[in-house]
Amino acid sequence: MDYQQLFGLHPTKMRAIDVSAFYGSKIAIDSVTLDIPEKTVTAIIGPSGCGKSTFIRCLNRMHEVVPRARVSGKILLDGEDILVQDPVQIRRRVGMVFQRANPFPTMSIYDNVAAGLRLNGVRDQKILDERVLRSLKQAALWDEVKDELNSPGMRLSGGQQQRLCIARALAVEPEVLLMDEPCSALDPIATAKIEDLIYDLKKSYTLVVVTHNMQQAARVAEFTAFMYLGKLVEYDRTQKIFENPAEKLTENYITGRFG
Amino acid sequence: MTEVAQRKALALGLDRLNENMRNLAELSELAIRKAVDSLQHVSEAEAKEVFEVDNAMYSLQLVIERNCVDLIALHAPVARDLRTITTSLKISTDFDRIGRYSKDIAEISLKVGTESPTLPEKLGNLTRMADLTIHMVDTSIRAFVNRDADSVRDMGKFDDAVDDLHDELFEELVKLMENHVLRVSQGAEYILVNRYLERIADHAVNVGDRVVYMMTGEQPRHAAPYFKKVDPDGKNDSNLT
Repeated sequence: MDYQQLFGLHPTKMRAIDVSAFYGSKIAIDSVTLDIPEKTVTAIIGPSGCGKSTFIRCLNRMHEVVPRARVSGKILLDGEDILVQDPVQIRRRVGMVFQRANPFPTMSIYDNVAAGLRLNGVRDQKILDERVLRSLKQAALWDEVKDELNSPGMRLSGGQQQRLCIARALAVEPEVLLMDEPCSALDPIATAKIEDLIYDLKKSYTLVVVTHNMQQAARVAEFTAFMYLGKLVEYDRTQKIFENPAEKLTENYITGRFG
Repeated sequence: MTEVAQRKALALGLDRLNENMRNLAELSELAIRKAVDSLQHVSEAEAKEVFEVDNAMYSLQLVIERNCVDLIALHAPVARDLRTITTSLKISTDFDRIGRYSKDIAEISLKVGTESPTLPEKLGNLTRMADLTIHMVDTSIRAFVNRDADSVRDMGKFDDAVDDLHDELFEELVKLMENHVLRVSQGAEYILVNRYLERIADHAVNVGDRVVYMMTGEQPRHAAPYFKKVDPDGKNDSNLT
């Protein structure tokens, strides 16, 4: 695939080359090759079990955390293979937000956002304050929580908790943000806020969003990849995927004529 | 609504839309055939039938528009489903226009019929023009109904032939009027018929183009630049887009 033509002015930020992922002997991703353009939103869609979550978990080496799980191939971040680098450093550069908001239950809103920074050795209170403020603003949560920063994070609504997790991920200033079905547990209003946030975040970050909601992919992503049975079936501009996909399998999936 | 129920509702909605489109297409073909018949045989009954068909087409077009808006609003269709709906929305207007021009031709046939009982023999090209136009309408409708993009890929050739015939017939009509074979009032009406048939052929081409888009996703032909600056001398014609 000619990525340069596909991405236009966006340079490639991450590149998966012939990536396969396994759980023990079971193959979950089969030789996926895919470029992710910088400062855009790339959506990954596909039916349950197609490997889309596994794929993005490979992108920040979270996959290997699972016992007996392994990855083969190459995953380049700014041209360098992340599979031979320190996973902790990679996870700082490639952050992740999960399906269910998971604030640290015993921590305040402030401490939740500052947790990653503290883990990375930031102790200066002024820097912490600045980063917490900036991250909460970037996550469009500041106005709602500025007067209760010391309240437990768990006291927030589901949508607010998810934005708190996004703020926590942003606090360590990642370059790439992976989102694994970030709105699947949220109501339409909270979903709209996250989608607006995704739209704003792409000005500064490279985002990869796994979603079951195809309309969400259509709304937020410039590029969409369709995966099926661990393989990448089609990857193109989102308009092309939803208006005139090249592959019959993609067409059947997005129009609901599957199986 | 569950996902499966939603899909069934979309499929049923698309079936309903298709049925209505098929009816509209058939009515447009009926309208042009009857309009041309009424002109050739000066049949008042057929002319009046065209008026009824045109009214029915207008009502059906509104139903189709409602069908399309409902499907888009309720089911967020994509890919071929979406292309089918947008195509239906667009070409229902083409069919409606074919009906409207047919009505105009039928009105003319009532007017000129009082002066001359049959189409003057010298207007053989008008008959040829009508035959070719009906053929184009028929071809584009069959392509839509049978979902057959290949059969309308060379509609441009027919359109060129209709355009040539239109110009030829125009010249002929002017000459017939100059030579007093046709009265000006009569000739002017035939010039309008000539124009209406040419426009109907253009709508048939639109339908064909849209069928190609619906089936393949290829944008219609004539993808000319949005904005063109025309040099009056034609020497330095430059596109601004």
